[in-house]
Amino acid sequence: MAKVYKDLREFLATLDQEGQLLRITDEVMPEPSIGAAGRAATRMSNGPAVYFEKIAGYKNPLVTNAHGSWQNHALMMGMDKDTPVKEQFFELNRRWDKYPCDPVIVDRAQASCKENVIESDINLFDVLPLYRINDQDGGFFLSKASVITYDRDEPDNLGKVNVGTYRIQVKDVDTIGIQALPFHDIAIQLAKYERRNEPMPIAVTLGNVPLITFMASTPIAYDQSEYSFAGALQDGVPVEITPADTDPHLLVPATSEVVLEGYIKPRVRTCEGPFGEFPGSYSGARNQCEIKITHITHRTNPIFENLYLGMPWTEIDYLMALNTSVPMFKQLHNEGFPEVTAVNAMYTHGIGTIIAVKPRFGGFAKAAAMRFLSTPHGMAYGKLVILVDDFVDPFNLEQVMWALTTRVLPSKDVNLIHNAAGMPLDPSSYPAGMTTKLIIDATTPVAPEPNPRPVALVADPEGTEEWAKTLAEISAALGK
Amino acid sequence: MNCPRCDSPKTRVMTKSPVGDVWEVYVCDVCAYSWRSTEDPKVWPTFKLKPEQIPNLDVIPAIAPLDPDVSV
Ligand SMILES: [Zn+2]
Repeated sequence: MAKVYKDLREFLATLDQEGQLLRITDEVMPEPSIGAAGRAATRMSNGPAVYFEKIAGYKNPLVTNAHGSWQNHALMMGMDKDTPVKEQFFELNRRWDKYPCDPVIVDRAQASCKENVIESDINLFDVLPLYRINDQDGGFFLSKASVITYDRDEPDNLGKVNVGTYRIQVKDVDTIGIQALPFHDIAIQLAKYERRNEPMPIAVTLGNVPLITFMASTPIAYDQSEYSFAGALQDGVPVEITPADTDPHLLVPATSEVVLEGYIKPRVRTCEGPFGEFPGSYSGARNQCEIKITHITHRTNPIFENLYLGMPWTEIDYLMALNTSVPMFKQLHNEGFPEVTAVNAMYTHGIGTIIAVKPRFGGFAKAAAMRFLSTPHGMAYGKLVILVDDFVDPFNLEQVMWALTTRVLPSKDVNLIHNAAGMPLDPSSYPAGMTTKLIIDATTPVAPEPNPRPVALVADPEGTEEWAKTLAEISAALGK
Repeated sequence: MNCPRCDSPKTRVMTKSPVGDVWEVYVCDVCAYSWRSTEDPKVWPTFKLKPEQIPNLDVIPAIAPLDPDVSV
């Protein structure tokens, strides 16, 4: 049974034990230190979390980059920190099928997120060490919150309780702005309230068990439950949730460090942004929704968890890497293309995707690419598709480059599909949302496609696997 | 003190540091830009806003029409 964390603190303790968390004990100024440290941490080979114990002017500590490396990602799943990405992919794929693993609802008294309550004189700065992430951001942002809402017409339907990550700008001591893009679940729910001119109840939770945070940024169907998925990804161990104080239908993680409760003001939009976004560029100011915070609960000495995002790779890329790849793999492998052996859809949320496939006949790989490009996610995001043979690890870019350099005859293997749907946040799409799809077939030609210069591949020498183990053991012993 | 982004004079102290007298945070009531007293905000020309531009910014998401039986 994989290790499962009951709260963020247990996860951080494990990161610490594994050498994947660095403590900053000296006092720092919020700007630019916290954003800069988050940026720098993602460039380290082991990508550790960074824990700030003392931030000038604030009461509480902060952690950033908790998910920001493959080592931390493996530990999030309760696996050995050195687990290769491809193995993490297949493990996630296996646990995915345990859906639904429904959450357990616990009493208020059992929920650590209720240890402290603030009901009046709300001031977010009293609880959270807020800071500017990137220099041109229009204010201080929450970049790693799990936001809870429910369906006005079916308040008791757990499948329609939505847990999502949205960018949130602090507008005042008790007011925040939120970006609800039209294709987000929260926008569907908001429309039902705004038609009635009613405030929409909402809870913004911070500092959760790592797989709830992971699921909050995973695109799933509107009527699927993020909580039931998080339980599945905990290898069948349910997550614990509890009703919010201000609305029993708002079910929040029981061990959140901080829960902000309030409502979206109906039919109000105010100036929000700019914000440095995941494609590595700023998105400008827009008129967006506003939330009034009326009630806060928090653990004693709460830890503020936030992430750095900017030019990839940053922490956010790990939160939309394998959780984008696994659903794409399932939609291909389980629905008509069992010859697809792995999908790496983790470059800028699947704008760049590598598909490993064992082609049955000439043109087969290209058909798999077209299938990917006609899935809902692939249609919107997919732009650059690389096809490699099944024996190439699509998560190993050296191997992918080998395939590109030795398997591609550009005059026949590079294909452009003009005037196709694209991702508006991709600044190369023009007009925004229109792009050209690029398919590169780096698989070995199979009949009836001619392969006029076949080659014999060099196989690993006998004993390579045993030597890999031996060398790893010697290396590990040296490290101790 | 004028707003670093829209140059409006309608700015105010949003809050002071909860511990010690280390910093204040200011906010513009016109464009919602906020900054800390320990920062020296330099808003790039591309992100400058004129107050009259704000009502014309894109609205995300669009506001759904009211149901026929509802009035504001
Ligand atoms: Zn302003």
